[in-house]
Amino acid sequence: MLHGHHGELTVGEMLRRHGISRRSFIKFCTAAASAMALPPSVGLAMAEQLRQAPRPSVVYLSFQECTGCLESLTRSFAPTIENLIFNIISLDYDDTLMAAAGEAAESARTKAMQDNFGKYVLIVDGSVPTGAGGAYCTAGGRSAVDTLREAAKGAAAIVCVGTCSSFGGIPFADPNPTGAWPVTAIVGDKPIINVSGCPPIPEVITGTLLQLVATGKVPDLDEHRRPKVFFGNTIHDRCYRRPFYDQGKFAKSFDDEGARNGWCLYELGCKGPTTYNACATLKWNGGTSFPIESGHGCLGCSEPGFWDKGSFYAAQSAAAWGKAGEVSPRQVLEVTATAAAAGAVIGAASAGVSRLRQHRSEQHGIGRESKGDE
Amino acid sequence: MIRLADIPVRIEPTPLVGGLGGGVPAILSELASLLERLAKAEEPAAIDLRSLPMSAQDRVELRRALGEGEVQATLTAEGISNIRETRVPGVWWVEHHDRNGELIAELIEVTRMPLILMSATDEIASGASALREQLAAAAAARAP
Repeated sequence: MLHGHHGELTVGEMLRRHGISRRSFIKFCTAAASAMALPPSVGLAMAEQLRQAPRPSVVYLSFQECTGCLESLTRSFAPTIENLIFNIISLDYDDTLMAAAGEAAESARTKAMQDNFGKYVLIVDGSVPTGAGGAYCTAGGRSAVDTLREAAKGAAAIVCVGTCSSFGGIPFADPNPTGAWPVTAIVGDKPIINVSGCPPIPEVITGTLLQLVATGKVPDLDEHRRPKVFFGNTIHDRCYRRPFYDQGKFAKSFDDEGARNGWCLYELGCKGPTTYNACATLKWNGGTSFPIESGHGCLGCSEPGFWDKGSFYAAQSAAAWGKAGEVSPRQVLEVTATAAAAGAVIGAASAGVSRLRQHRSEQHGIGRESKGDE
Repeated sequence: MIRLADIPVRIEPTPLVGGLGGGVPAILSELASLLERLAKAEEPAAIDLRSLPMSAQDRVELRRALGEGEVQATLTAEGISNIRETRVPGVWWVEHHDRNGELIAELIEVTRMPLILMSATDEIASGASALREQLAAAAAARAP
């Protein structure tokens, strides 16, 4: 379903050319399968299947993004193991990584899309603006929304890397001046996988891609289309500080005794309870640490609308959240105001800023350029 | 800065039952079944140790229960891998590390020989032709 043709080099041959042995590849697939909680036999099967197959064609489109997702993927800690994915796939277009530019790059893209029509994997990062006819994000004279629609037609599957393409992310945040939307709002008729996170953990990106190209099937997804194998538990479910939460031992400020003893960061705004991601188990930088282990509460960056869920430093309130992802801005402001009244100076400041921003957007109207007064 | 190891969360040792810790009899029982299947039907299998909720104590007990066999293999491929047969024939303990020495996978394989150790058929053929070429080149170099 997904395989393109590139001088008929199989994945195995490509790897050998880059000095990556069959055994290294088996190790990589075994580790990836383990990280995805797949049985070891699947890892072995993936390695065998991929080795014999022609390299799948991948087109990577970047829209309103900060490039953090691509950086996460390419600056991984153990470069060879993670970046093996670049030897497995044939990355036919990526405007950040490719050597070509301008017309040459664009024709490489259109050729790859033609040659592999119906079979290439389309990766998208960044949200897609629709304001001003899509003029807020253009490349090669074409708007992001047009480029996406065209690329989606020949894609076998679409993988949205990062919260911006999955849920709109930061451009989508109130007041959304460019009319940004996630990919799912623009494309309706293709299998879409959302690998959310700001950025996502590199192993989550490569694991999802590997599973997709090796099996040709979309993995089990949750209601936000995120692979359940990585997004099936909340941070809170797997947090090593859970014993402190259960005992009611909370840090009250970032430099107090509780913080220094590694107590729960719930009162300092941790969004762990409503955030689904693999940070507490896979961690970051090759398993080095994750925000809570480094003393900072979870921002909830893999959830829809996380930029608009009130202060990162105000404690969550059950009244405001209900189901994760279904919060009205009005409720958030009320909760934030209450939290501010209860004490933290930080809370008060952010509540004030939120209220000011809301007032301004009501004045100026959503969709008009903000002129940098935020 | 406080490290994870400094946080005073004590691991309560699981009560020993017949000399083995909590989760270990279950794993050994599964291994016995897999070995029986291997003996009867030549079907290999593997258990991913990272998928099991094992305590540090359990891991020590498991290693002790399985023991060390006669074979220790070191694989150097994008980092070191240690592949050891345990005292139980057909049960291999496999640890994969990346170039930075980080453990990236740990499994117990029930097999005659872990597949990763065996040489691949396609590579053998290309290795043979490479060797022939090498011989031919050496002969040509020696020719007067």
